[in-house]
Amino acid sequence: MSTDSFHTIILPLKEKLFRLAYGIVRDRSEAEDILQDLLLKLWSRRDEWDGIGNLEAYCFRAIKNMSLDRLASMAIRKADLPEQEEEQRYFVDHHSPHQALIQKEQRRMIDQSLRLLPETQRLAFRLREVEEMSYRQIAESLDISEEMVKVSLFRARKKMKELLSRY
Amino acid sequence: MNREYLDILLKRYWDCETTVAEEQELRDFFSRADLPEEYTQYLPLFSYVGEEQAVTLSDDFDERLQASIIAAGRKKEKEKTRVFVPLLRIAASLLLIGGLAISLFFITRQQNKPYYTETTGSNTDTNTAMQHATHALEKLSDALQMSEEASVETIRSIDDLDIDWFTLDSLSSIAADDSVIVNSLRIIKEENI
Repeated sequence: MSTDSFHTIILPLKEKLFRLAYGIVRDRSEAEDILQDLLLKLWSRRDEWDGIGNLEAYCFRAIKNMSLDRLASMAIRKADLPEQEEEQRYFVDHHSPHQALIQKEQRRMIDQSLRLLPETQRLAFRLREVEEMSYRQIAESLDISEEMVKVSLFRARKKMKELLSRY
Repeated sequence: MNREYLDILLKRYWDCETTVAEEQELRDFFSRADLPEEYTQYLPLFSYVGEEQAVTLSDDFDERLQASIIAAGRKKEKEKTRVFVPLLRIAASLLLIGGLAISLFFITRQQNKPYYTETTGSNTDTNTAMQHATHALEKLSDALQMSEEASVETIRSIDDLDIDWFTLDSLSSIAADDSVIVNSLRIIKEENI
């Protein structure tokens, strides 16, 4: 039963869980590391799953907490290191190099303003937009009410709209 | 997609009234190469989301996870034996202490056993031992009686001699030589005999 749940419920979530971790720590290898830690922990405690009501929401809550913890320890580690170059990521370049530069700048701006959002708003936005989760699923994953999810998402989208309107 | 519908959809999107499917529709629209100019300002947001959705795990993640699960299983096994070894040690020491205690108990019990339990066999043996003992005691009693009688006889004969003790004392004080007394005593003894 438990071993089945690991393959039918937990493993199919791995990409979503990874992206949530990545959304928080913004480092692919760290995010993979966190996910591996989580899956390993879940596997080793598979006998205790019966006590968990919503295994899916539990996984999201766990990866969120682990990622936030990792982010804090990463901040301590990075404090001594010189500023690292942002991960180089470009839009698919349909246009000119000039256009590409503008898009890169816009992307950096969105990334930065998302980072400045309060944690709940940022995570609600991410789970809705990137993971396409329902309000109910988000509420369970973040352990908040559905109403709170809506409010957080509304504020996050409003912020994005304001930011983009300036262009 | 007509503009009117798109505007309504966008408005509902900002008001958080769109469904997941409608939001997907919007993303599809914004990913079009022929995006109308007036909508380009929102393009970075939808592109950002699309890009974030494209982030996937490394191809070798499953292999690494499997390897780490196997490694963790082995570690657990090792921990199990590591827990088991001290228990074995405790069991061994308990066995040793128990063994020592039991052997010590038997040894001391053997030493405490009275001698007669091993030597006495029957009633006749006890009787002969009693006879021996009585015989020895009778002999001793006879000897004591004889010596007592002899002592009484001696005292009586000394009394009969009517010795002048005062003269004897003065004699001993004048004549420092002990031999005088010894001699006088020997004379008395000879007379007595």
